[in-house]
Amino acid sequence: MKYWQNIKERLENHWQLTEQLLMLFAFIYIVVLANDFKIWKLCILFSGFLVWFLIGKNAKHPISWIVILLLLIIDLVGSYFWVANHHFLLLFVVLSMVFYGYHQSNVILYKNVQALLIIVLCASVIHKLFSYQFISGNFYYHSINQGTIFKSLFYFFPDSLEIANSNAESIKELNETDPNLLGKIKLVDVFPNLRIITIVFAWMTIIVEFLAAVALLSKPKSKWTHLVLIAMILGILFTKLETGFMSLLSICGLLLCNHLKLKIVYLIVAIACLTMIITKIGYH
Amino acid sequence: MSSRRNVIFFNYSIPCLAIIVIVIQMVVVKTQNLSKWKGGGYGMYSEIHYFYNQIHIPNLSVDSLVDVNSNLKNSLGYLMLMPNDNRIKESAQLILETTKNDSISVQLWKPVVDSKKQSLTRVLVNEIQLNNGDL
Repeated sequence: MKYWQNIKERLENHWQLTEQLLMLFAFIYIVVLANDFKIWKLCILFSGFLVWFLIGKNAKHPISWIVILLLLIIDLVGSYFWVANHHFLLLFVVLSMVFYGYHQSNVILYKNVQALLIIVLCASVIHKLFSYQFISGNFYYHSINQGTIFKSLFYFFPDSLEIANSNAESIKELNETDPNLLGKIKLVDVFPNLRIITIVFAWMTIIVEFLAAVALLSKPKSKWTHLVLIAMILGILFTKLETGFMSLLSICGLLLCNHLKLKIVYLIVAIACLTMIITKIGYH
Repeated sequence: MSSRRNVIFFNYSIPCLAIIVIVIQMVVVKTQNLSKWKGGGYGMYSEIHYFYNQIHIPNLSVDSLVDVNSNLKNSLGYLMLMPNDNRIKESAQLILETTKNDSISVQLWKPVVDSKKQSLTRVLVNEIQLNNGDL
């Protein structure tokens, strides 16, 4: 009972918990990218550590968040077209934390994170709506028939896995031929009625993302909003282990959520994704 | 700055910045042929990954070229990500300098899937024919 009380108290003060999780995520992500632009990062880290150890808590500025922001900016400037999309979102959330160090307003931080999530979801919906490849189901058809998404599902259907491997092999063989010969291969469906499934799944993806964006805009604290967001996060993780982006979305969801049980779900998803990133499982 | 201005700045600057980055990405996708997967526009999983794009150089192996010239690896990577005229010309020039050939042809092909016909084929997205005299 005492443990449950402790958990409840910790989750009720979820701002601190979110800040710690975000700091952990940023730290892991920075370590993952540590090999690039070493000299610049070394200078930033050295200066950051020196200031932090000399001044510590007496500093007027959020030193640790500023150091993280600068490290993220270095990667952004050096590899603008190569960094993942969650690099941009992380940078904006970290910038929100830097600003929070100055305004100290929970309301502004909440609005910043809420707006960022809505913008990300809307942009994703727009890209999908304007992609014929996506709305026709051809994108999912290509990915599912090769076994690059829904990998966990294939463990329960070994025959389908065999077909997916055979499709992947055919594509590889096609890529070894001169494309000017205009070769074509026939893909074998890994599941019956795959074309219909992929069209339905494509539109379901768009609808869920749009619903999550609208719900976050109109009722960001509602239980149903967070149920939709959690369903979307779990759905994406089941489709493909996008551990980097999903841990960040879970951390943002945790910050916006007021329901104890849903906060626990966000926390579990975030920690599961973070541990998978550390053990190099999934995409980060 | 007044307090009201501070509040407006802290409330709207980050969302505005995020929207600006997305708009820039969408413009670059439209004008420079950037893959929707990159550039901070959150367009991942809306089209086949650029990893499946194929660079074809008649009578030359891309893998062996990359081994010879490390700059080419970077240039060909950008070509797969953003197969526009500038990128293909830059890659062709580097290949010509590396191989010392009289002329070179570089093509970029993309996979096209048709779920109705259950088929996968490739379409030519961009190509260039460059002679040594053009350098």
